[in-house]
Amino acid sequence: MSAPFATSFSTFTYFAVAVVLGLFFGFFLERAGFSSALKLTAQFYFKDSAVLKVMFTAIVVAMLGLVYFSLMGWLNMGQVYIPATFLWPQLVGGLLLGAGFIVGGY
Amino acid sequence: MGVETIPRMPTPLTAERAEAMSQRMIKKHHVAIMLLHWFNATVWLTELTTGAALISSPHFRVVPYWYIALVQGFFGTRSHLLQFHITVGIIWMVVFAVYGIFGVRTYLAREVIEKEVALDRDDWRWLWVRLRLILKRTNESLPPQGVYNAGQKLFAGLVYTMIPIVMLSGLVMAFHLVSTSLVQWAIVIHFAAVGMVFSGLMIHVYMGAVFPEEKPAFFSMLTGMVNELYAYRHHFKWWQEVKMHEQVWKREVAEDIRNGPSISRPEPPGATEALPPASHRESQFKAALQRTFRQPQYWPPYVAGFGLGLTLLATFVIMGQGLGASGGFTRYLVAILTWVSPHYVATHDYWSQYAQPGQSPLLDFLVFELIGVVIGGFISGWLAGRVRIAVDKGPRISKGTRYLMALGGGTLMGFGARLARGCTSGLALSGGAVLSAGAWVFMMAVFAAGFTGAYFLRRYWL
Repeated sequence: MSAPFATSFSTFTYFAVAVVLGLFFGFFLERAGFSSALKLTAQFYFKDSAVLKVMFTAIVVAMLGLVYFSLMGWLNMGQVYIPATFLWPQLVGGLLLGAGFIVGGY
Repeated sequence: MGVETIPRMPTPLTAERAEAMSQRMIKKHHVAIMLLHWFNATVWLTELTTGAALISSPHFRVVPYWYIALVQGFFGTRSHLLQFHITVGIIWMVVFAVYGIFGVRTYLAREVIEKEVALDRDDWRWLWVRLRLILKRTNESLPPQGVYNAGQKLFAGLVYTMIPIVMLSGLVMAFHLVSTSLVQWAIVIHFAAVGMVFSGLMIHVYMGAVFPEEKPAFFSMLTGMVNELYAYRHHFKWWQEVKMHEQVWKREVAEDIRNGPSISRPEPPGATEALPPASHRESQFKAALQRTFRQPQYWPPYVAGFGLGLTLLATFVIMGQGLGASGGFTRYLVAILTWVSPHYVATHDYWSQYAQPGQSPLLDFLVFELIGVVIGGFISGWLAGRVRIAVDKGPRISKGTRYLMALGGGTLMGFGARLARGCTSGLALSGGAVLSAGAWVFMMAVFAAGFTGAYFLRRYWL
């Protein structure tokens, strides 16, 4: 059996697993304090670097895990969705989202 | 209040004094050290049992063939067994790296070198006397010892030297690093280093689990405490240190009392009252759970980030895609649009890609994941007592202004997220972890705009 497993799931299992993964996602986001606009925006005033710390810790952990799983042949990286690059839309979209972030606070 | 003098050398104790000392517990190990010890013990047990079954060459074999067949059979194939062996080893390295990085100043530099490894004059003498005691050549008493005795220090030195060698050679073997000849050398080195540790481990386990005099040392690895009599008899120099700390603390408290009411001092680190009964220890465990999950403070960012990273990794491994948010919201919107006007959605270039005929746009991973996010966030906030209705805003603006900002900001974010085909979660976080170039461009753009915008909006947030 090789990951990703989702292709062999029944519809019910697939969505049940989705809810559970989301549950953990929401749990850790709240634990990090990302439910508070004041805590999030404090990042942009150099008062609280939780946003950068949490985000990059998560990225590094997931990245190392993926490298390891694929080195061991457990995960077929060919079947993992990697967002395609559209340089200009993603640059402009990022600027808009960043501006929206500091205006809206989330 | 008379201060008792701390003896310079161990002296014979009266029966009463010995009885009192055997009742009084003093703290020896920090809980982090106990956890590390048992984690390490589990890893060594696992790695030795699986590793022995991996060496099937007739020249090197250390266990009988039936054992190799048994263990390999348990895992199905040799390659599964090898994968298991490597994975446990990697986890071991990661945990050690974390302990090393966070403990390098407070723990590694001072404690390890000074208390656990370096042999002083008393230690060398201890080794000599101990050897002659075993050979029944003398009946003199052993020189006083610090928190670890010379035998323990020798074992610690051996283990601390060998562990990096085992780890490095293991990595070279597991991933065939550098060259074939290096891998061949790594096999021999791995085997030899493990052998050295194994020989020390035999004595260590015998002393801890079997040797009657060292029973308190074994239990101290479970409770963190030893009784004072044991400390006095076996680790006299350490006992002196603890006593000294206690006296300093007592003197300071006495001064405080003389100077009138003031803040009370915390307990000295070395000493506590007698070991609490089992039921109380159980409630300590509950208290630790309470501290972790029910405190109003947020978790340290690296801890929360680690949890988030594991969740993200699990999502990639199970679902073949990362976590997201804006994609899910888009699908909720398409579902509403379809309900209002199926024709409009079906003929629209953008919406129609989310609505295959005969299939609801809601049958998607992200849609259900978002339900989980709401529940998980609520559970976390509820446990910590953070659930409340509030408007998070800067002190200088009204609620109305804040609502307008939220609406404007949300609109900008929504537009930006759809333009970039993802948001902070779906593109920056998930795409970042799989090194999508666009995701990193997006992330830099988000922070660039955020930091720039923050300057102009400081009146609204600060």
